[in-house]
Amino acid sequence: MIWRACLPLFAAALLSPPPAAAQALTQRGFADGGLFLFPQDAPSDRTRAVGDLRVRDEVFFKPSGWLQFAAGVDFRANSHDQVDDRWRLDVSDRGARRPRLALRRLSATFTRGPVTIDAGKQFIRWGKADVVTPTDRFAPRDFLDVIDTEFLPVAGVRAVAQAGADTFEAVWLPRFTPSRAPLLDQRWTVVPAAAASVPLVDGGATLPDGSQTGVRWSRVADRVEFSLSFFDGFNNLPTVTVFPVPSPSGAGPIVAVARNYPAIRTYGADAAVPTRLFTIKAEAAYFTSRQSGAAAAADNYVLYVVQVERQTGEWVFAGGYAGEAVTARRSTLTFAPDRGLTRAIVAHASYTIGPTRTIAFEGAVRQNADGVYAKAEYSQARGQHWRATIGGAAIAGRESDFLGQYRRNSHVRASLRYSF
Amino acid sequence: MNERRAVTAILVPFAVALAASLGVRAAGAGADNARQIVEEAQKRTDAKSQRYEGLLQVFDAKGKVTDKRWTFERLGSHGQSKAVLRFTAPAEVKGVALLVVNHPDRASDQWMWTPAIERDRRIALQDRATRFFGTDFSFEDLEERDVDQYEYTLAGDDAVDGAACWKIQSTPRQSKSSQYTRSIVWIRKDNYAFARIENYSKNDMVRRLDYSDIRSVQGIWTARQLEMADLKRGSRTRLALDKLEYNVPLKDEDFTLQAIRRQ
Repeated sequence: MIWRACLPLFAAALLSPPPAAAQALTQRGFADGGLFLFPQDAPSDRTRAVGDLRVRDEVFFKPSGWLQFAAGVDFRANSHDQVDDRWRLDVSDRGARRPRLALRRLSATFTRGPVTIDAGKQFIRWGKADVVTPTDRFAPRDFLDVIDTEFLPVAGVRAVAQAGADTFEAVWLPRFTPSRAPLLDQRWTVVPAAAASVPLVDGGATLPDGSQTGVRWSRVADRVEFSLSFFDGFNNLPTVTVFPVPSPSGAGPIVAVARNYPAIRTYGADAAVPTRLFTIKAEAAYFTSRQSGAAAAADNYVLYVVQVERQTGEWVFAGGYAGEAVTARRSTLTFAPDRGLTRAIVAHASYTIGPTRTIAFEGAVRQNADGVYAKAEYSQARGQHWRATIGGAAIAGRESDFLGQYRRNSHVRASLRYSF
Repeated sequence: MNERRAVTAILVPFAVALAASLGVRAAGAGADNARQIVEEAQKRTDAKSQRYEGLLQVFDAKGKVTDKRWTFERLGSHGQSKAVLRFTAPAEVKGVALLVVNHPDRASDQWMWTPAIERDRRIALQDRATRFFGTDFSFEDLEERDVDQYEYTLAGDDAVDGAACWKIQSTPRQSKSSQYTRSIVWIRKDNYAFARIENYSKNDMVRRLDYSDIRSVQGIWTARQLEMADLKRGSRTRLALDKLEYNVPLKDEDFTLQAIRRQ
């Protein structure tokens, strides 16, 4: 519907002269092939080598100064069944597996004076922190690899009005996009040892029908910038229910695992304050279940992050503490990497060795030391198009800890990217 | 805006932006002290807006060359201006953009947009000494400051590439707002064009900016090639300005955080 509404505007834009300034048509994309090697078996997954291929192409067309169109697609292939085999363009990208061909972006941007409206499939990012972002409610992620994630686009309308130092933003998403949870038969789903012999089947996902809305007010001042935000929608991370199902062969029990996405509201705030030595960034959100009493399906809790950030010489550093305070606990199983990275010190750093070479580090340590991960990556570009990256992640800890449960998933990774 | 305000800064941060706009309409004007010389040089480069396509060649200490390209647009003049710089090559950084909002009485505000993560980030004042995206220009070098933010001293006469120049020392009045404790500027006597700038941190020269290929563009004498040398690293970045235009029609709404999100 949005696209039909856009057609007259598109025609009008074509008839008006393009801005003398900007290029009317721009494009960017890449082909990226990667290999992951896991030195250890996981109880549910004995595959130790995973190959992955991603091709992305994005086009931006600016027929007029007040209008821009964006379109982009992702093509995926994977050696470990992480990609849906069907050859079709997946517009919504809400499945358990990555689509073979996904619509990454298809949007129109209208600008008039201080008002900007983006309509269509797009990326919406809120918040200022880096590793954990409690207010970033319109940014579902692909967690097929829990510590190497990517953002998923959402479909909706975003309106922004700027008035001096203040920015007002409203978002409406008519359709929910969930984060992609780890596949049940792969190593990023960890089953407790006691239940390891019970076969798991995907009980499916119940995707909520309602729309999601959010508003945000930001202010940029000389010494501080901050935002207040409100979100009314659904958690893009699922609560999990397990239930027995009959075995087709009649042999032994089978457990189905189903995903539900609870209705929530969040009240968020974020701020950045530059000081002489560091920029201090803080971000917090209070998550509350939209239902009350027995119907409530999710915990009420506060997620918060305080971090410091500094660039000096060739180094960029950010590090801080992510915390959680639960105000109402309900006995639900969840897949919640954001909460899994709380009560932890998180940090990342990068060093630019030269114009074409960088090295980066990232890590998190739970405050009780029950879980830790550390990533390192070396990257080198060659010419105008090629970049090779090698890296690895070491994960350790207790089985009961969110990070520690992945202790058999330490890995090394190599990738080669051609950008165009 | 009084004329002194309109006459903006060059000095220390000698921005690429500014640098690109440096030039002179005509020789003359017998300025006899450092501040007047700088004001005159600045006044002669006033333009409502500016646009160019830049080719950057980064030479590392071993002589290896890396090419980058950006487009640059500036609205307003000198200390009252806003600028957007957007990379167009290499392919992996296409779309990365920097918004610079200059102020007459303080350091600029800067935000960088990174399309790969769909986020903007404010560049804090204490981070401005960092190199900008692998070039030898720092974030601070990309801003313009008002002439009133510096003190000037005439340090004598000198010649650059055979052209007679005034040699002027500038010192930031708010020392904490700049990575450079002082700068030496060479301004040509024949046309008030900037010929060279040396930037010092305490007693050490840390960066040197050389201007060359000075031509008149729409009546404004402009250096079409700039070379910034990072003397600590032994590297240098050459910036060649292509398709340079002044007084192009640009809109204020294209110089906002929302605007740099648009590709």
